[in-house]
Amino acid sequence: MFKLTLRNLLDRKIRFVLTTSTVVIGVMFVVGVFVLTDSIRTSFDALANDIESGVDLTVRSPLDIGDELDRVAVPQGIAEIAVAVPGVASIDGRVVARNTVISDGVGEPIIPRGPPTLGFSWFPTQFFIIDGHQPETPDQFATDATTASDNDLVVGEVYTVSGPTDQREFTLSGIFNFGDPDENKSIAGTTMAAFELTTAQDFLDKPDSFNELSVAVASGADPVVVQEALAAAVGDDFEVVTQRVKVEETQSDFNAFISIFGNVLLAFALIAVFVSAFIINNTFQIILGQRVRELGLLRALGATGRQVSRSVLGEAAMVGVFSTGVGIFLGLGLARVLRSLLKAGGFSLPDGPIELHARTIIFAVAVGMGVTVLSSIAPARRARGISPMAALSDSVRLTKSGLGRRIKVGTTMVVLGWLLLGLGLFAGLGTKQLLLSVSLGGVLIFIGTTVLSPAFATQISRVIGWPIQRLFGVPGRLARENAARSPRRTSSTAGALMIGLALVSMAGVVGQSIKKTFVDTLDNSVQADYFVRSTGAGFDPTTGFPAQVEQLVSEVDEVDLVVGYHFGLDSISINGSTKNVFTTDFSAGTEHMDPDVVAGSITSGDPLGSILLHEDPAEDLFVCIGDTVVVQFPDGAVVGLEVAAIYTDSAIFDNYVIDNALWNEHFNRPELLFLTASITGFSDDLPEEQQLALLASSAEAIRGVTDEFRTVNVENRVEFRQSQQAQLDSFLITITVFLTLALFIALIGIANTLALSVFERTREIGLLRAVGLTRRQLRRSVRWEAAIVSVFGAILGVGLGLAFGVAAAIAIPDTAVKTVAVPWGSLAIYVVVAAIAGLIAAILPARRAARMNVLEAIASE
Amino acid sequence: MTLLTTHLPASETIAARAIAVDKFYGKGETEVRALNGIDVEFEQGRFTAIMGPSGSGKSTLMHCLAGLDRITNGSIVIGGTDLTSLSERQLTLLRRDRIGFVFQAFNLVPTLSALENITLPMDLAGVDPDQEWLDTVIDTVGLADRLSHRPGELSGGQQQRVAVARALASRPELIFADEPTGNLDSTSGAEMLDFMRRAVREMDQTIVMVTHDPVAASYSDRVVFLADGRIVDDLADPTPDSVLDAMKRLGD
Repeated sequence: MFKLTLRNLLDRKIRFVLTTSTVVIGVMFVVGVFVLTDSIRTSFDALANDIESGVDLTVRSPLDIGDELDRVAVPQGIAEIAVAVPGVASIDGRVVARNTVISDGVGEPIIPRGPPTLGFSWFPTQFFIIDGHQPETPDQFATDATTASDNDLVVGEVYTVSGPTDQREFTLSGIFNFGDPDENKSIAGTTMAAFELTTAQDFLDKPDSFNELSVAVASGADPVVVQEALAAAVGDDFEVVTQRVKVEETQSDFNAFISIFGNVLLAFALIAVFVSAFIINNTFQIILGQRVRELGLLRALGATGRQVSRSVLGEAAMVGVFSTGVGIFLGLGLARVLRSLLKAGGFSLPDGPIELHARTIIFAVAVGMGVTVLSSIAPARRARGISPMAALSDSVRLTKSGLGRRIKVGTTMVVLGWLLLGLGLFAGLGTKQLLLSVSLGGVLIFIGTTVLSPAFATQISRVIGWPIQRLFGVPGRLARENAARSPRRTSSTAGALMIGLALVSMAGVVGQSIKKTFVDTLDNSVQADYFVRSTGAGFDPTTGFPAQVEQLVSEVDEVDLVVGYHFGLDSISINGSTKNVFTTDFSAGTEHMDPDVVAGSITSGDPLGSILLHEDPAEDLFVCIGDTVVVQFPDGAVVGLEVAAIYTDSAIFDNYVIDNALWNEHFNRPELLFLTASITGFSDDLPEEQQLALLASSAEAIRGVTDEFRTVNVENRVEFRQSQQAQLDSFLITITVFLTLALFIALIGIANTLALSVFERTREIGLLRAVGLTRRQLRRSVRWEAAIVSVFGAILGVGLGLAFGVAAAIAIPDTAVKTVAVPWGSLAIYVVVAAIAGLIAAILPARRAARMNVLEAIASE
Repeated sequence: MTLLTTHLPASETIAARAIAVDKFYGKGETEVRALNGIDVEFEQGRFTAIMGPSGSGKSTLMHCLAGLDRITNGSIVIGGTDLTSLSERQLTLLRRDRIGFVFQAFNLVPTLSALENITLPMDLAGVDPDQEWLDTVIDTVGLADRLSHRPGELSGGQQQRVAVARALASRPELIFADEPTGNLDSTSGAEMLDFMRRAVREMDQTIVMVTHDPVAASYSDRVVFLADGRIVDDLADPTPDSVLDAMKRLGD
């Protein structure tokens, strides 16, 4: 029996390839993602070791919340105390800052997409000069080898560098390798600028202080004893940590980054697997239909029902084993390809071996085998019921599960799915439970819809096929009837496409809603005329530009008011949970940004003692105007802030707003995220000509000051809106491209099913050809059948995606989505694209059908 | 095995027996009486043909005798075992271990070689074939040099000989053949029938064959005639002429 199963499999090569290809793709992506992230993690772990080597102990201030660079500076005095501690060989103060941007030879700022732009004080254990010399005077800087070579920076030339507070000209004194004397290990496109210590303290805004002190322990001294002595000497305001701790911290920082990145990729891989599962299940069902006679024969010859069902399961298991093996192998290749792609895309990932962990293999086997074996359970059970009489009668069909039961089961799944989805979106669960509940709900809805859809597939296929029949006559009619006559197959083939399109449409709806919300906010609540931001400002909330710009812009004659803004991600703590914080100038009130204040007033707030709240947190905290909210800052300070105003529009300011003065007191980040300016005498009531003239002249004046700041972009309202929309669009396009992967797999599924259908209908096709259907007409009928099936899937998918998208848009906090908007045009395009894709997927099966020899086809069983 | 416990006291020489067998399809208005009160016995060691016009119920009778199809009333006894008392699984095992089949459409598994097709029922049962017997069978059907070929590489006559060898290989108590020559040209058909007759005479096998061809029927030891689901005639030691005569009488 085993032999028979194996023989069956190997003998039907096309069928075998069609079945395995989808599983292989699924497994390949899963393995590729795991291997890539494991490999990156391993190289980053090694890198962390390299970076932190040579430093025995580190003295720094503790940090409970906020960013690493939010640590309170260690003053010069502490360094002097530390150096006197017995067993300490030497103390090196270090300075680090973000937003230190070098401009290249032609004045273009070098801002990588995503990775940080760091400024350092010169540090001999991390920087290894390969050209020139280390920076020695206040007008010199050094940079890392990758940044230098990528941007043609030459030793001896003068470059502009923009820092947290201002920008200056420096001469490039040398080029160094980071982390390793022989190879530059700067991370993922990070740019580095290093300065001599006192210059760094000045330029990177650490006057007479350091981010941390690196301690070398004298040879012979016991590090543990020295650590305790140091801790006692520097007092409770500072902590002393070992090299081990620093390495682990660095590794976990890297890990956090890799995990986000890996999880996103994994999500796409799992979507691919899920879509594959649909196709595999469908393929097994069809193959089983074709084998009814053969299995009936086995039953007549004495095979038990169990033997027959086992052979079906066995075939699936073999497909699983084979595909998993191939998938793992290809996954290793994919990991390499992905790594090169990422590198080509600007992520300079450290090189390292490709890591295939046992966990990856176990997961791959679970996915590959699981998907195939689970997909074949239902067909195997049906195979058990095949009667031996099947071998003897001419046309046998598998018994179909009743429509009534189908509707019952399908409806139950869909309802349960929506309940889970609703629970996930609106019950305020933790991230893990939310993801689990939402994805489980989604899976149930998809399966349930596929179970249900045969109930209406025939009617809908006829409707979709009507214009095709009108246009193409007999081939159109054949296509329409073929799509309509086996609703089960039409539904399950369309199922894979449905999932892909549902995801794409959902992303479309959410994206459109985000855009609409943004535009509405800009139109209704933003009154500023000019917007200044960093050229590199993308989705990284830590990017910023020199604070000095605010001062310079406010000195421009035409400008009437300037407001700067900072943003801290998870940087304050209220009642023990970390929150984002936004800043503004309370004195500016609502002149530039109007968050729709419902109680109190912004201008009445005390810059150092007040906070503005969105109505939701205000409600959660049970506070109203005049009440006190206790806020903890990254520097450890715990401050009671009086609620000065409560507002309803969180799209502008998020949920918590403090004054810039309070920010500067507690944060080490003077650089600005954003700046708004308004023009003296400008009003919407002025005649348009005058408006334009005023804008033109003021723009020139403002650019006169900001132009020298290479990293700063000035935009008026129209430009600002356009650039923000473009940014959102490019983000959405990236997601859509990834989701297209699911569509691609779905198309393989359509091609697969059609090829099998054509094979199954050999005799019928022979007959049609014999009575005069031309090859061309035959090809056309197969292609349009595919188009009908695809459009059916697309309609289901777009419908579900619309529902998912609206649900998601409602669930997303008002900060991002306030108005639900549907991109009807895009959704319509998706349906058309699906039809075209279906036509393309059908090319090969159609050609195969057309090539059949008429006589042989008629003679076949 | 429960097969043994259901053994009924029966004449040693009867291989299969139908007692008052009815087989109805459908219900009410659309009811079709495929078999209507059939009483018939098939002796061991004989080659019996079942004849009758299309729709007479001859194939249905064979399917019921072979345990492929369930009957409505009456009972079928194979070698002392009452089929109506068996479960689906017991029926399957009975088919596997005690009955052989030859189908009109050959029904070989296309992916297996001739030899593998022949031993398939034993592979399904998980028993080793009796090598000596197997060699005899293969010799007799004259397939020794074709054993590694796939069915697609064999002629119709050769395929049907493989099918007969498959039926014989497990030494069943009874072989059912459903129009075994229906898809063969007259020469191959004659060879096949001759071979089946030899299997009965020389190897002491029992064969029940359904056919509508008087020449084919004339190779058998006995012909049972069916019409409208009833036994209407029973002819011993038939010749093509006597069969034709009997058929003419039926037509009257």
